[in-house]
Amino acid sequence: MTPHIRKGITTGLIYGVVVIFLFLIGIATVLKHDTDNILLLLGLAGIVAGSSAAKAPTKADQGMGAVLVRGLLAGMVAGLLSGLATYVIASINQTGANMRTYMAQLSPEAAVAIALEQSPFVGALAHLGVLTGSGLMGAGLRWMISYTGLGQLVSGQWRSSSAQFTTLPAVKATISSRVTRYIIYGLLIVAALILPQELNPQLRFAMGTVGIYAMMGLGLNIVVGLAGLLDLGYVVFFALGAYTVGLLTAPIPHHLEWNFWATIPVAILITVMFGILLGVPVLRLRGDYLAIVTLGFGEIIAVLIRSDALKPFSNGANGLPGIKLPTMPDLPALPDWLGGAITPEEKFLYLILIGVMAAIFISDRLQHSRVGRAWIAIREDETVAQAMGINTLYYKLLAFGLGGALAGMGGVLFASRNQFVGPESMTLIVSINILSLVIVGGMGSIPGVILGAFVLKGIPELLRELESYRFLAFGALLVVMMILRPQGLWPSARRRLEMHLEEEPPLDELETVPSGEAAR
Amino acid sequence: MEQAIAVRPRRRLSSYQIAQLIVGVLFVAFVVWRLYQVLIIEAVYGPDTWVRFAMSGLIIGSVYALIAIGYTLVYGILRMINFAHGEVFMAGCFAGYFVFEILRGIIVNPVSGLSFLDAFPIIAVIIAFIAGISVSMTTGFSLERIAYRPLRKAPRLIPLISAIGASFFLQNAAQLMFGPQRRTYSNPAVEYLDRNKGWIVNIAGKDVQVAYTGALTIVLVLVILGVLVYVVQFTRLGRAMRSVSEDKQTAALMGIDVDGIISRTFMIAGALAGAAGVMWGIHYGQLNFFVGFLPGIKAFTAAVLGGIGNLPGAMLGALTLGMIESLGPAALGLDFQLKDVIAFSILVLVLVFRPSGILGEVLTEEKL
Repeated sequence: MTPHIRKGITTGLIYGVVVIFLFLIGIATVLKHDTDNILLLLGLAGIVAGSSAAKAPTKADQGMGAVLVRGLLAGMVAGLLSGLATYVIASINQTGANMRTYMAQLSPEAAVAIALEQSPFVGALAHLGVLTGSGLMGAGLRWMISYTGLGQLVSGQWRSSSAQFTTLPAVKATISSRVTRYIIYGLLIVAALILPQELNPQLRFAMGTVGIYAMMGLGLNIVVGLAGLLDLGYVVFFALGAYTVGLLTAPIPHHLEWNFWATIPVAILITVMFGILLGVPVLRLRGDYLAIVTLGFGEIIAVLIRSDALKPFSNGANGLPGIKLPTMPDLPALPDWLGGAITPEEKFLYLILIGVMAAIFISDRLQHSRVGRAWIAIREDETVAQAMGINTLYYKLLAFGLGGALAGMGGVLFASRNQFVGPESMTLIVSINILSLVIVGGMGSIPGVILGAFVLKGIPELLRELESYRFLAFGALLVVMMILRPQGLWPSARRRLEMHLEEEPPLDELETVPSGEAAR
Repeated sequence: MEQAIAVRPRRRLSSYQIAQLIVGVLFVAFVVWRLYQVLIIEAVYGPDTWVRFAMSGLIIGSVYALIAIGYTLVYGILRMINFAHGEVFMAGCFAGYFVFEILRGIIVNPVSGLSFLDAFPIIAVIIAFIAGISVSMTTGFSLERIAYRPLRKAPRLIPLISAIGASFFLQNAAQLMFGPQRRTYSNPAVEYLDRNKGWIVNIAGKDVQVAYTGALTIVLVLVILGVLVYVVQFTRLGRAMRSVSEDKQTAALMGIDVDGIISRTFMIAGALAGAAGVMWGIHYGQLNFFVGFLPGIKAFTAAVLGGIGNLPGAMLGALTLGMIESLGPAALGLDFQLKDVIAFSILVLVLVFRPSGILGEVLTEEKL
């Protein structure tokens, strides 16, 4: 079998499995059991499969005939697999057996939908047909775009015209001028002030969550992004902050009913102390060991909080209800077109925004100071940093402590907003969430972290119906981002020399002086 | 300056070492005090209970050993922690479960309603093992091809994140496909595969039950470990694996297909995890999509405890961890809920005091 035929077949196998997998995880239900939607899905899958199969391993296989054959094969094989699965699923469904005890997503409606509301055999044939046809189409598209020069023509035109545009003196001056930067900051600040008023309660809550996670993300950005310490137990500091405010303001179990504002310095003190205590034994370890140790610490704290042994102290699995909201000053009511009176929830959102801005300010100033440079030196090569006279242990502890304090603040706000805190929120998932938004957004980059918080926390909050697919998409996103763009969505201005730099021209960011010009 | 200076230099302990010493002494004092309390003063548990704990420790230790070897093999070859290995274990567990369910549905004797599962238990178990091992091997292989191979040259953080993402993906996929409910392995209805039955041994006047399935687990693990040691030490594949883990480039120069060996290592690790998954199902019975998480972390702890990259170390570490986890809460008079805390504390302690593990880490460069 020639390699290019084999490529067609293996691509078809892979995509056939992907389609079956999609059905097994319930995409029929997501698509509302609508035959048209499922046909669309099959068509799309076929096009992608055909296009992928059409990629020529060698120059000789770029001819139209070979490309179309590969696409056809891929579509056919995928269609055979998908059709077989359809036949099996629909037939079992016809016998009336309940498949849901084993495969939770294969309800009778889903089975009927998968068979496109036809008999099992016809449905299977339909799958085969659609996938084969769209495979052919996908291959044809790929051939047209990549192998006839059409794609290069279009992208070449685009690149040259955009280059011509951005090198116009007026455009360049506008992009890089300081005035533009300030105007944009001003607009952002105005938006931040007005937005809480305009949003409905659900969106407001989502934005508050995004803000809290952005704050914690900035803290972890200091630890992971700047100092290069992979901390998988970040949830510990979050838990400390949340439980501090909980234990100090909630009626049970200690009957200390402090004022919210009084707990903030305590929370910061405790998290920083814990950060140092945790850091001293642990910061000498190598990268992945550090990750696992912090992971272990996170799990230990989670189990301890939940355990009965510490129940008198932390109220165990029941959590701490009745946490106080902060006492906020009375603000004058805004004119009606801006939303009228300011409710407590809106005030809380402003508080969160203030917190985020403070975190941005702290991160930015530290990043562009001796401390920040020391961190980056430690991240890049610790031995050389030590040789340069940097006291690595001190700076690492500083990073840990600061990051911990920011997470503690996030925990304080989180607990206070929900007026409840329990051990269920103190899981590894929180750490992974925050780590992901730092990595996906861009390690060491402040706008990247904010963007990451929006993408990874804001979008799931808005797409509540797809809640059950959240972690699936999350995991897939992490893997895909690492493979395709490890430097993150909005990389830091400092070039990440370890990653993909040869393929990636420097981004034109508003904060950098456009030195990219010389590199082009 | 050819002669060595014969004076022993005086060494000042760094503050870090002093701190280590203090914490170490405190910890040992705590353990000794608790042991004294529990064993001598209160003497709540008789020898029969200790034997029972020790046996369950042995069983869980053997299961951890299979998974830990998977971690150690992958780390030895790629210097990478395969975070998603727990999910490979889970996949094998589910595969075995489905085999048992399918075989239970095949009625062999319409009159008595006897199912294939109960009529041919040994064959059923063998098929379950084959299924579990194959599914886990496939999962491990796909994991490597999709999530790790493209990142071979990236700095260490990137494959770790990818592994975490893959682990989440697999867990959630299992949750979506099979539902969140806990399932129970329906063992063949034969005496010697009944989870609750076993040989009765009389220790110090009381009866202690040695579970049949538990003994089966231990024996199977010993057999598998024996085969594995043979493969690694005496076959070409094993030699190739060892050489790739020592120096990838030189191995490639010697004509070894490095990518193929790495794939095969993942497959072997997957096979072991799959076997462990089926054993877990047969003996412990309970599984759901989350079943791979804790054993995964604990097996990794075991691998680190024994010295990561070190095959006998992984086995030793796993048995040690299993025993400590089983005997620990009772011996230290702690709540049984804190069993996991003990495992994680061991992890932390080992990494802080002796990161190279009991038998020493087998790495050539990139030290602390």
